[in-house]
Amino acid sequence: MKLICTTVFMLMLATLAKAQPNYDVSLISKGLLPYASAVVRSEDVNTEVKDDDNTVYHIKKAITVMNKNGDDIARIVLWYNKTNVVRNFKGTTYNEFGKPIGKFTEKDLVDQSATASYSLFDDSRVKHFIPSIGAYPYTIEYEYELRSKQSLNFSDWTPNDSPGLAVEKSTFTFTCAPSFNIRYKEINMPGKVSIATTKEGLKTYTWQLNDIKAFKYEPYSPNEEDYLSSVKIAPQNFKYEGITGSFNNWKELGQWTYDKLLVNRRELPSPTVQVIKDLTAGITDPKLKAKKIYEYMQGKTRYISVQVGIGGYRPFLASDVDRNSYGDCKALVNYTQALLNVVGIESWYCVVEAGNPKVSLMKDFASMSQGNHIILCLPFKNDTTFLECTSQKIPFGFLSDFTDDRTVLACTPEGGRLMRTARYSPQVNLQTRRADFVIDNNGELNGSITTVFKGTQYDNREDMLDEPRSEQLKMFPKLYPAVNNLDIESFGFKQEKNILPVITEEVKLNARDFATTDNGKLYFSLNPLNRSGRSPREVRNRNTALYINSGYTDEDEITYKLPAGYKAEFGPLHVAIDKPFGKFTANMEISGDKLTFKRRLQLIDGTYSKELYSQLVEFYQQVVEADNYNVSLVKN
Amino acid sequence: MNKILLVVFFFILLSPLAHSQDFVYGDNSAEEMSMKKYNKDTAARAVVLNEYGLARISDNSEGNIRLSLDYHVKIKLLTTKGFDKATVEIPLRILSNSEEEASDIKGYTTYLDDSGNHQTVELDSKSAFTTKENKYWKTVKFTLPNLRPGCIIEYKYTTKSAALGLFPSWKLQDDIPKVNSRYDVHIPGFWNFNISLRGNLKLTKNTAEIEKECFSWYGAKADCSFMVFQMENIPAFVEEDYMTSPKNFMSAVYFELSDYTNPSTGQKIKVAKEWADIDFNLKRSDYFGSQLKKKDQLKPYIASVIAGKTDDLEKAKAVYAYIQKTIKWNKLTSTGSDNVRKALDSHSGTVGDINLALVAALSAAGIRTEAVLLSTRTNGFINKLYPVEDDFNYVVARANIGDKTYMLDATDPLLGFDMLPLKCLNDQGRVMSLDKPSFWIDMVSLSKQRKSQTSAYDLTLQSNGKLKGTITTYYNGYDAYEKRTAIKKFNTQDEYIEDLDERLVKTKILSADITNLDSLNLSLVEKLEVEIDVYDNLDHSKLAFNPFFFDRITNNPFKLNERNYPVDKGMPSDDRFMLTMHLPADYVVDSAPQGVAVSLPNQGGKFITNFVAEGNTFTFSNVLQFTKTVYEPEEYPYLKELYNKIIATEKAEIVFKKK
Repeated sequence: MKLICTTVFMLMLATLAKAQPNYDVSLISKGLLPYASAVVRSEDVNTEVKDDDNTVYHIKKAITVMNKNGDDIARIVLWYNKTNVVRNFKGTTYNEFGKPIGKFTEKDLVDQSATASYSLFDDSRVKHFIPSIGAYPYTIEYEYELRSKQSLNFSDWTPNDSPGLAVEKSTFTFTCAPSFNIRYKEINMPGKVSIATTKEGLKTYTWQLNDIKAFKYEPYSPNEEDYLSSVKIAPQNFKYEGITGSFNNWKELGQWTYDKLLVNRRELPSPTVQVIKDLTAGITDPKLKAKKIYEYMQGKTRYISVQVGIGGYRPFLASDVDRNSYGDCKALVNYTQALLNVVGIESWYCVVEAGNPKVSLMKDFASMSQGNHIILCLPFKNDTTFLECTSQKIPFGFLSDFTDDRTVLACTPEGGRLMRTARYSPQVNLQTRRADFVIDNNGELNGSITTVFKGTQYDNREDMLDEPRSEQLKMFPKLYPAVNNLDIESFGFKQEKNILPVITEEVKLNARDFATTDNGKLYFSLNPLNRSGRSPREVRNRNTALYINSGYTDEDEITYKLPAGYKAEFGPLHVAIDKPFGKFTANMEISGDKLTFKRRLQLIDGTYSKELYSQLVEFYQQVVEADNYNVSLVKN
Repeated sequence: MNKILLVVFFFILLSPLAHSQDFVYGDNSAEEMSMKKYNKDTAARAVVLNEYGLARISDNSEGNIRLSLDYHVKIKLLTTKGFDKATVEIPLRILSNSEEEASDIKGYTTYLDDSGNHQTVELDSKSAFTTKENKYWKTVKFTLPNLRPGCIIEYKYTTKSAALGLFPSWKLQDDIPKVNSRYDVHIPGFWNFNISLRGNLKLTKNTAEIEKECFSWYGAKADCSFMVFQMENIPAFVEEDYMTSPKNFMSAVYFELSDYTNPSTGQKIKVAKEWADIDFNLKRSDYFGSQLKKKDQLKPYIASVIAGKTDDLEKAKAVYAYIQKTIKWNKLTSTGSDNVRKALDSHSGTVGDINLALVAALSAAGIRTEAVLLSTRTNGFINKLYPVEDDFNYVVARANIGDKTYMLDATDPLLGFDMLPLKCLNDQGRVMSLDKPSFWIDMVSLSKQRKSQTSAYDLTLQSNGKLKGTITTYYNGYDAYEKRTAIKKFNTQDEYIEDLDERLVKTKILSADITNLDSLNLSLVEKLEVEIDVYDNLDHSKLAFNPFFFDRITNNPFKLNERNYPVDKGMPSDDRFMLTMHLPADYVVDSAPQGVAVSLPNQGGKFITNFVAEGNTFTFSNVLQFTKTVYEPEEYPYLKELYNKIIATEKAEIVFKKK
């Protein structure tokens, strides 16, 4: 009997506590404090689909800021535009002991345009605010509603999306009519969804997370989405900017995109049609035709971004691009399709998540918000070529590390189709350098360097080619910083714009005082041309896998003709390391007055167990040490 | 190098009125069309062929007086890199009762197509977009169509503003060269502006005439001064590393309202003429003088802060720390404050709120304190030809205690007493007090601020090939501030040490002790017990050791052969390093680098190394000193050579061997 009483009493306490949240900082469990600059005390995210053109988010959050590093983590940031409107914003601030000390409202929010710097126009805006409290720690509690006039995209739930943020409790509830079918994707979620029905007969999906420790950024870690918890939701039937649709998978989403956003936007004025016909007259190979047309498009257009309403998803008309010679990624892809169409070359509009870290569309979860860029696919027989249409100079068929090696969605007349873009392997991304140097008695260096850049390493020099010669000349000391007093006597570049492009750089140079003479000795850096800099930091108790986003190979060979009458003071350098993620060899040999240095560094992209990270640090430490090797010569 | 010239005019009476000097829209010579490179600057990505501006204050059709600017430019785009010049952003102010407007936007792109035919594509005026950036600004943006290398773009627009005192400045120089740039201004006699020319390029035409009764507004009439500023063959401005604001060196014409007469009442309003006027205005203004006068209101705030303290310096330090702690800087820069008490109560404020509160609070504590108006390094040098209040963008406090003065900025809680952030060490500041005329002080040469650090390494080579010992570093002055800032980025000292340990890959930190982290006016001392992996073992007859194993300089920061503008470091610096190494008993030093001593001319700095061996112990020390804050272009080669010497020296190794 006694036991039951206690239980009842405790239940009552729990109810009371819920009614009056206590934000006393001392109540935060000690286990959540390491690395935490801010702690979410409680968060309730409610997404309710009231109608297909009316989704209401209700968000209530309390967050404790432990120190000044937490101010920016806790900053309230509300993105909005004409079709996503913020309402009923209010908040309270609490001191360290959980006592309320102030209130804030919508008029405290700072409102500003969120137009991207590369964009001529888009209507996105942001309201942001962080209260000023004299002392740490403090807590802010706030709530607001966001009304979104569509049901295609729902915000992901990402309870701990920032390094230094711990979470006591976060709850996500998605509410909709029983007839509104959704698909959801749980990523790194320890618990499963709980599905229920409200008194009003609405269906609810609820997820909750408790006691998540703050994470620290770790070098060579995978994309955050791969190790943080989140839930994504996609509708079956939806409405967006007045257009309705339905999808359950990528095939159907691709079909809708083709039918509603892309079709009938490729008409071209007849003079342009004629230009394309003339341009390709006499070419029979469709790939060569496509290359010709692509290069014509590159020469004619440039990238300008304008995003308004449905224009965020639907390309400008090809005829508009033809007239203005500019457009965003969608418009330029669509225009290129129109041009290719003139000569009957089929092409597919492809949605991709672009950027240097490779991010793929999720094979098992179709949704509209996964890509941020459009590229073009040419589905030739036995040859699939992808084209980046927003660059005026990238070679035909080359994607660089912007969109390589990832899953993309091709929107074809027959529906969506997941495809994979090309991977540039470590062997392909090859930089080979050969240098012949002479060092004289005064330590002056003379000689020449020839370097060949291939694969993604092509990008090491591509931008430089656009610079005027006088600027290029100023860039060399920054490219070869370890050659002090670098004086370029002559230089030249050769560019081969193949699908796997190549740039060859030839330099003739001299450098006074390259070698230091001191006390009858002569010192110089064995490897002044390609140095790794610092090794990555150590990470104790690493949490994430070792992830190498892109691989490459560097091969260097330098021969030095040494001044007469010197010999090496120390034995030569021999390093050879072979690890799953990379290989490194460095060798120095002296025969007569000739010193030869060979270096080969290869990094292999992939995901490796986290235990291998310490080996990567050790690997680089050995590379750095070899790169810093000083040759010390003494007089015979 | 501070090249600001006062533009002096000889007014010539001329009639009839000169007609518009704008160049003809849409008239492109065959030479301009076919031009492939700009001969005077073959590296140019684009060149302004002609640029014209007409600014005037006049009656608009609705009976309001407006300041308008007609802007017209024609640019040749030589390479795709020059296409950035085809996207135009017009920033417009949102004023309290009206917004500035841009209108009559028109433009086109013209080029010779592949078959040599003239092609012209008009700018669609519907594709000019307006974005409200924030409460104070909006932007009109447009981009010209159909660009290709070799095309010419031409566009014009008009802006209108009700802010008659903000007469548009004219950038003669840009990052691309210009063949011709001309600015015509018509200013009715009701308004008087001070005009100044920055940069060291010469105007090719600079005239002033009187236009009779060119302005009338509800019966009020005035003559105008019509002035022309023209420059031809203007080279592109090329920015260099380690320079202060490019604004200090770029050629441009600036206007500053000095007085005006209200056309409807005939009342003359002096905006600024003499420093005495500015002093008078500031002292009476709500946002400056009134705030400084709040010392009685602030007394209750600081009563407990200075309670029990009798020494003025102690009081000043306590008040400074109190303001630093109490008001959090909201990242806005200003020279005034709406209300310093409100800033104290809300714990948040601008630079003006915080430092004027500091001035008032120190005054309340009985310490004679002035406000110092200044211009930050990015804001550029101050025009000293005539008083310009708008050149200032920052304010700090200057406390006078005994015969000493102390410069204080309370916006950053980690700044020590009598220390200013680097951004404030620029040009001159104007000392403003409530009871005396204002005066200039030099912000740089009077500053006692410097960066200084001394590291002492005491290491013993052990039989396992590892070095073990202590590294003690003393951070002083601005170095201490920077180090404190770096440490405070971490939630705790332990997290900082853990991070440091992880970064120093071959070094294990066995224990660490940081003293005076929160005592901002003392040296910050970091003492690390370390173990460093150097050699696998001692199984070698000879071992080489580079004493610069932590921070070796291998790259020369000064890479160019020539320099046009001064290298501005902001403050002197002094780095010292001393290594004491104990070798095992059976080792001796075999060879060591010779001592080096290099100096910059005029005692501008030096680099010295020294080596002393005694038995199986040796010490190696070095000093790197820069005593000046600004090095002129003539001193640049010496600076570069000093670094060459440092790099060469730091390659050398100490060799020791078994006896």
